[in-house]
This record gives sequence, C-alpha cells and structure tokens, in this order.
Amino acid sequence: MKFKKADVATAEIDMTPMIDIVFQLIAFFMVITNFEQTQADERVILPKDSLAMPPKVKREDELTINIGFERNLEGEKVDPQAYIFWPGEKIRLDGLEAKLRLEAQIYRDEGKEISEITVVIRADAEVPTGIVQGVIKLAQKDGIMFEKFAIKAQQSVEP
Amino acid sequence: MKIRGKRSTEKIEPQMAPMIDVVFQLLIFFMLTLKIVEPEGDFTVNMPIGQSAAESDSPKPPVIKVRMKADENGEMYSMTIANKELFASAPGASQEEKSSNAFKRLNSEILNAIGSPGNPLAEDQEVELDPDYALNSKYLINAIGACRGRVQRVNGQARMIDYIKNIKFASPRPEEAGG
Repeated sequence: MKFKKADVATAEIDMTPMIDIVFQLIAFFMVITNFEQTQADERVILPKDSLAMPPKVKREDELTINIGFERNLEGEKVDPQAYIFWPGEKIRLDGLEAKLRLEAQIYRDEGKEISEITVVIRADAEVPTGIVQGVIKLAQKDGIMFEKFAIKAQQSVEP
Repeated sequence: MKIRGKRSTEKIEPQMAPMIDVVFQLLIFFMLTLKIVEPEGDFTVNMPIGQSAAESDSPKPPVIKVRMKADENGEMYSMTIANKELFASAPGASQEEKSSNAFKRLNSEILNAIGSPGNPLAEDQEVELDPDYALNSKYLINAIGACRGRVQRVNGQARMIDYIKNIKFASPRPEEAGG
C-alpha cells in the first residue's frame, strides 16, 4: 500500500521573485555607477554657472587638479588655507610644481603628447582666483608645458 | 508492494545558495560604490596666461580687458570692462544681486562689442580677465560664463549662443594687493 502522506513536507521557499528583484537592483546600480568621476574630490564645492556644459566630445586624457578647503560635516571651512587635494595627500601651491613635473614625465614616458592632455581644474567656489591662476602658470612652465586647460563648474539651471 | 524512489521522476534542484551569495555581494558592492554626482560642466580656457590666440593674418581687434576687484573676504566689489564700471551703486541690494546684475551688464557689453552672436569678427576677439588674487573663484567662473555667451531656451531645450571663445587670464596679481 502506498502512503503518500508519509513524505516529510519540506517548506520550499520560492526564490524566483527575489532573484528577479535582486538582479534588477544589480543592473540598476551597475548602470548608474559612474567610475569616471572618481578623480573628483568631494571636499570641493564647485561654483555654479548656467553656461557650464559637459564637453560634447569626451576628452581622451585629462589630469584633474582639485583645489579646495578642509571642511567639517556642516560644510564650514575648518582651515582658511586652500589646499590642492592630490591623490593621497594635500599640498600647497608651492609643492605642486614637483608633482606636475613628475606627472608630465609619466605622460611623456607613456608616449603621449603633453599638448593633447587637458588639465582640468576643479576649484572650490571660494578658492582665491590667484591660486587658480598660479596652478595654470605652473602647468605652463618650461619642462611641464601643458597647453589645454578647463575649469569645472556645476551646471545650474535657471528658471 | 512498495516501489522505492527510482520510478518517481528525479527533480534536479539547482543550488541556489551560492548564487544568491554572489549576487548579494555584487549588489552590496554596487550600492556602496554609488556616488551621486550632479553632472559637471566645464569651460575650456583657450589661451591661458601669457599666450595669445593662434596667429592669423588679419589684424586682431584690441583685447577687451575685464578687471575685477575683491575685498578682503574675496567678495567682488568692482568690475570694469574697458574702464567702464559695471557695478551699479544700488543701496540695499545684497552682494549677490549686485554681482549678478554686474554680470548681466558684462554679458550685454560683450554682445555690444561683438555686434551679433556668431559674427566672424568675434572669432579673433579676445577677452582678458584680470582679477585680484583674493577674488573668490566663483566670480571668475561667472565672468567666463558672461563672456562666453548666453543660454537660450527654445521649447524647453537649452541652447548655447556663443559670444567670445577666446578667454585668457592676465598674469596673477601678487597676493597682498587686494582692494
């Protein structure tokens, strides 16, 4: 005689809908994640302007220089001195020349034309203009010789 | 008689647990690396300090000079284009209103200077920005924007109308000289 009921009833969870949702989420986060702006430093609060538009043609090579202030969680300045946020350290304007030289040397060693590389300056809205000009001046010095420059701003939409 | 297992169709259950492990790992990775950034635009500075536009045979129109002065806090209190003051004395107006009006005036002065947008003569026209050392860089950005052109909205679509593309900086002023 057969006893069907004798099997232990195992409660199986239906996984299908959960996996559906989880895959949706993964796909969403993958698409939305932008690894290109990893050079941007979150301490820099960019100025806003309605004319600042993302470049129509994507630049091949760019060197991003972040200039900003140390800020606390409320966004207030902790230190009136503006720093250049180089990856891993913060430096003052006088320490930048050596870094730029090294950077230019690396580009040359890679066989890239320095004149084709855009120096992108991300300057905080409250950074003195003199520092921005100073950075450009340093980057143009003999032996460094960057030629293309761009200054970042946040795109603001005016009504 | 009891017939054991063999006859009932064998169901192959895919192992879900490892897949879900990996999938959750991926999900958490992408969630944590997510950084919400607003789109950033930029201004190309064609001829930075000390350089001049590409040589051309036609004589170049004189450079339009824009001088910006800053107080000790880096706020702008004076802007002149070819020695013409753009900062109107408006008592009671906030710093923001005053500077925004000055940039609007700068924008129309630039339009005056080039005649009409897209004028071939404007191709060679240069603007030289000469700010005080302490001036906050947001004013520099606004000035570049005011010289570069304006945004026109057609059916909700923003279109940029170019004025002058050649914007350069004067040599930086010494740090102390402000005001």
